Amino acid sequence: MTFSESKEFSVHSSSLKEIRNFAREILAKDNIFKSTSDDVVLALAEAAQNIVKHAYSGQETSDSLKVEISFNNNQLTIDLYDKGMPAIPTNIKPRNVDDIKPGGLGTFFIGQIMDEVMFKTSATDWVNHLILIKNY
Amino acid sequence: MTYKITEDGNIATVHLDGEIDMDVTEKAKEVIMPLIEGGKEVHLNLKEVQYMDSSGISVLIESHQKAAELGSRVVLKEISKSVLKVIMMAKLEQILIIE
Repeated sequence: MTFSESKEFSVHSSSLKEIRNFAREILAKDNIFKSTSDDVVLALAEAAQNIVKHAYSGQETSDSLKVEISFNNNQLTIDLYDKGMPAIPTNIKPRNVDDIKPGGLGTFFIGQIMDEVMFKTSATDWVNHLILIKNY
Repeated sequence: MTYKITEDGNIATVHLDGEIDMDVTEKAKEVIMPLIEGGKEVHLNLKEVQYMDSSGISVLIESHQKAAELGSRVVLKEISKSVLKVIMMAKLEQILIIE
């Protein structure tokens, strides 16, 4: 099985549910994703939330972000593209989970759920390109 | 997200329903915090919460910490399987009060 589907969404917290539903519909297409679907949807939603919160600092914008979900060679790849402030990958670290305080858990969740997380710099129309990979 | 509040003596139970993400956390805090600040012991019934992300978890931590600061407590009740999984991923099952 191979597939690749993409969709653009407004950069706004109200888009998060649409993004989750977009991913849920795709992952419901094959039983291979059944046991991990909720986790993958959470990781994607956390990454999208980081775009709204950090790449745009919660500011109103007419920009879109793009989500692309692909499956090939038993590898699920989620690409997120945005035009917010350039991310500095070395500054993006999960907080110590033993430090009990509100906030900062999203990156920790992404790292727990996905097998690979990376930023890619390439000549595209977008500023940031985050790639999340899960192997099946 | 929708909610319903029932009160019995000093205990206020907030029944949350739906998906709790960044888009609704302010609304959730507006519901929960005044009850804590009013001296109530707050029970959060999470049976009908199908999804919770890190923003929702932050609301649980803030509520727990605010209640502890005021000598009260927030108790999580009937947590749905999907929410419990996220609480455990955050390693909070020993920190938050779960009954």
